[in-house]
Amino acid sequence: MSGPKSGLRVRGLTIGDGSRWLVKDLELEVKPGRLHMILGERDTGKTALLESLAGRRREERGQVSIGDSSEAAPRDRRRAASFIAQWWQPTQLTVLERLLLAKPPRRFRIAIHRAAAEERARALAKRVGVETLVHVPVEALRPLERRLLELAAAVDESPALLLLDEPTSELGPHEARHFLGILRAVAREDGIPTLFTTTWARDGYPDADGATILWRGREPATVSTEDVTESALFERWTGGTMRRSPTGPHTAGDALLRVEDLVLEGRGRETSLAGLGFDVRAGEVLAIVGAPADGLHLLHDTLLGNRAPQRGSIQFLGKEMLGTNRRQRVESGMSFVNPPHARDQSLVDFTVEENLILGQTHRGPFARRGWLKFDSIRGNAVRSLTDFELPDAKPRERFGRLSLGARQRIVIAREVLRDPKLLVARSPAQGLSLESQEYVRKALVLQCERGSGLLWLSEDPEEALRVADRLAVLAAGKLVWLPVTETLTRQAIIDEMSGRAA
Amino acid sequence: MIPGRCRGGWWALGANAASFLLLAVGTQAIARGASAPWNPAAWAAPWSGDVLLVLVGLLFLGLGFLMPLHAGVLNLGIHAQFLAGFSVAAAIARVPTIGPAARAGLALLAGGAAGALVGAVMIGLRRRFAVHEVLSGLLLGGAMVPVARTLSVAPAPLPALTFELSNLPPALRWAPGLGLGHPFVLTWGILLLSLGLLLAFLFAHVLRASAPGFDLRIVGSNPLAAVAAGVEVDRVQLSMLAAGGACAGLTGALQLWGQPAVALERWPLPLAFAGLTIALYGGGTVRGVIVAAALFAGWINAPGTLVSLGSPVWGPAVALLLVLPALWNLPRLLPDQGAPRALWRTRHREPY
Repeated sequence: MSGPKSGLRVRGLTIGDGSRWLVKDLELEVKPGRLHMILGERDTGKTALLESLAGRRREERGQVSIGDSSEAAPRDRRRAASFIAQWWQPTQLTVLERLLLAKPPRRFRIAIHRAAAEERARALAKRVGVETLVHVPVEALRPLERRLLELAAAVDESPALLLLDEPTSELGPHEARHFLGILRAVAREDGIPTLFTTTWARDGYPDADGATILWRGREPATVSTEDVTESALFERWTGGTMRRSPTGPHTAGDALLRVEDLVLEGRGRETSLAGLGFDVRAGEVLAIVGAPADGLHLLHDTLLGNRAPQRGSIQFLGKEMLGTNRRQRVESGMSFVNPPHARDQSLVDFTVEENLILGQTHRGPFARRGWLKFDSIRGNAVRSLTDFELPDAKPRERFGRLSLGARQRIVIAREVLRDPKLLVARSPAQGLSLESQEYVRKALVLQCERGSGLLWLSEDPEEALRVADRLAVLAAGKLVWLPVTETLTRQAIIDEMSGRAA
Repeated sequence: MIPGRCRGGWWALGANAASFLLLAVGTQAIARGASAPWNPAAWAAPWSGDVLLVLVGLLFLGLGFLMPLHAGVLNLGIHAQFLAGFSVAAAIARVPTIGPAARAGLALLAGGAAGALVGAVMIGLRRRFAVHEVLSGLLLGGAMVPVARTLSVAPAPLPALTFELSNLPPALRWAPGLGLGHPFVLTWGILLLSLGLLLAFLFAHVLRASAPGFDLRIVGSNPLAAVAAGVEVDRVQLSMLAAGGACAGLTGALQLWGQPAVALERWPLPLAFAGLTIALYGGGTVRGVIVAAALFAGWINAPGTLVSLGSPVWGPAVALLLVLPALWNLPRLLPDQGAPRALWRTRHREPY
């Protein structure tokens, strides 16, 4: 072990944002080589905590020490810690070039020593298992491989503290487990205290040594994963409010959407769709679970009309949809709900009432002869906010001021009030507060009970289990159907996703 | 304030007002400090007649930048559109067979059309060859300079438009207090200002109350959401860039006539870029552009402005003040993916 001897110690750390506390009086100790999980919903201060520990954000009070220093100032923390952000723009550099960005081996301190550089990059890549990809551009990598690459690059800087912001947010559960296993091994080997944030309690097991739960408006709590089981941790986090299934099972009607023999080549190292076929019937929830890079993202893009498949057909109400754009699909009776953080389904600078008519101004009831009907728009907003239990939101309020959960409710209100024949929901509750997650699921499933079909695309097996009448796993570009029974477990789905099922 | 563009509105408005106050007071102070001998060329305030045409020029340039800005496009090709309008109008002015008044009207129309065409070319270059509109706009501006120089003609006074009042209804002719004589002279300044104000108010109304205006605001705020809502982003941006180009081209054509040309020559930067100053000082709103155009028309005609702009020490500082509001206004006005992304974007769709 070459890392710091004393690890990370945090005493009474308090971080504010405007007039509210994000993190209050946090006490934490992470020993060298240990992996610690920060668990919390969105907007509970997870990223702010990491930024503060990395010296990128000023705390209100508290003491942070890294290694042998008694108290590390923000400037010292910036030098000592390595911070891997949640989002970044993938580059056109190859894996080799990315790994050599920080410290390329030089010949006579001028030219890059190519042989030594490649050898060093290969050694680094081997540590995280991407040594076969050294000449592949970063933008062509799968999300898991990009995460592993960033980990390798961060470790190369020999940090005294490693911080990762939601590294598993765009990974399937099996990929998350693979990544966290490697992260733990690297942290152990180099003796680096490591913290990562997540919105999934499952990420703590089996690799994290401890977990700190952040709640909105409550003091954080730290537990050891050796002492607390995953279900107990989940229970403590949620307060036992989560239920298995809001409604159902449902009686299926006629087929609304029929997808046949869909073939589409993935970008870069993304898995291609290899002859996908399924149908969605009226009044049922079909859940398709898979990692985004295993074809889920491609399937969603194809259903949205953003990408045209090489082969196959998508029939909706007996009519071929290939060659139509998203607007034509919506006008024919389909509706789409994307993840809450998706930027293409709402306008943060616009008002709530304007967001409620997005994409509906080219025909009644909100416009007539090209002019907006303000009375109808206001009436629709008042009705939607009442029906979807948002009494605090005002029709003229700026959309961006609302919480993420409230925003997603408004998006769902807009899509549901169109009374669509088919709803396509892509991880619609991802990262929301637990209460909002429950509400989103209920609202969408209720629409299904009114006779619409619901296609639920998700990377989260638990979420799919809560809503599905039928369930398929998308693995290696193909669907594997699993019967939805009392005995179907999350682990069985994860095994299918990772190809480990017998 | 236009809905959807209201972030930090009051702070920006205050900062704009403070900048203009500094500009107005500063230039007068500099002129007094210079204690230059009385120079009629510098101090004369040609308020009679031409201030209207100066106001018209600034108003149209402001709209020329503002309209594409609402579609999320920075119209840095405004100089190219301005010069295209000037060149085409100059070519028409050389034709002696057309009557002077008809020639003036035709030149203004053709100037507007030429500016619109340049705007359309910019979007065409982006669609066909992926050349960013900022780059193509600046390059076209450079390319238009020799063309404009070649076709340039000496500025001439605008012909007056005279109407016989006997053609008007008797009630108006005999209305007490109007004080109109039998031959009623409608100046080009009044005509064009009315057109500019009508265009501005129409644009603001369409933007606020119509479905195409709503689409335009979506495109300006979030192109990803616009694509998802079924709005044709390229078509909207093309129409706005053409409309903005028409405004700039019309101002270019207006420079053929002596009065506005003399006054606007005082502008310390390439004149077409006055559109940026007007739009930014106006806070990116139509009402703001009208007010800013009026204030700057007054400022440029004010005694002392030319003296302070001619000062080797203070001249650049005054010129800097004209573009300073870009610092706090542009980030607020560009699409919500932020300035760098809006400036250098290459596609409307990106992964989540």
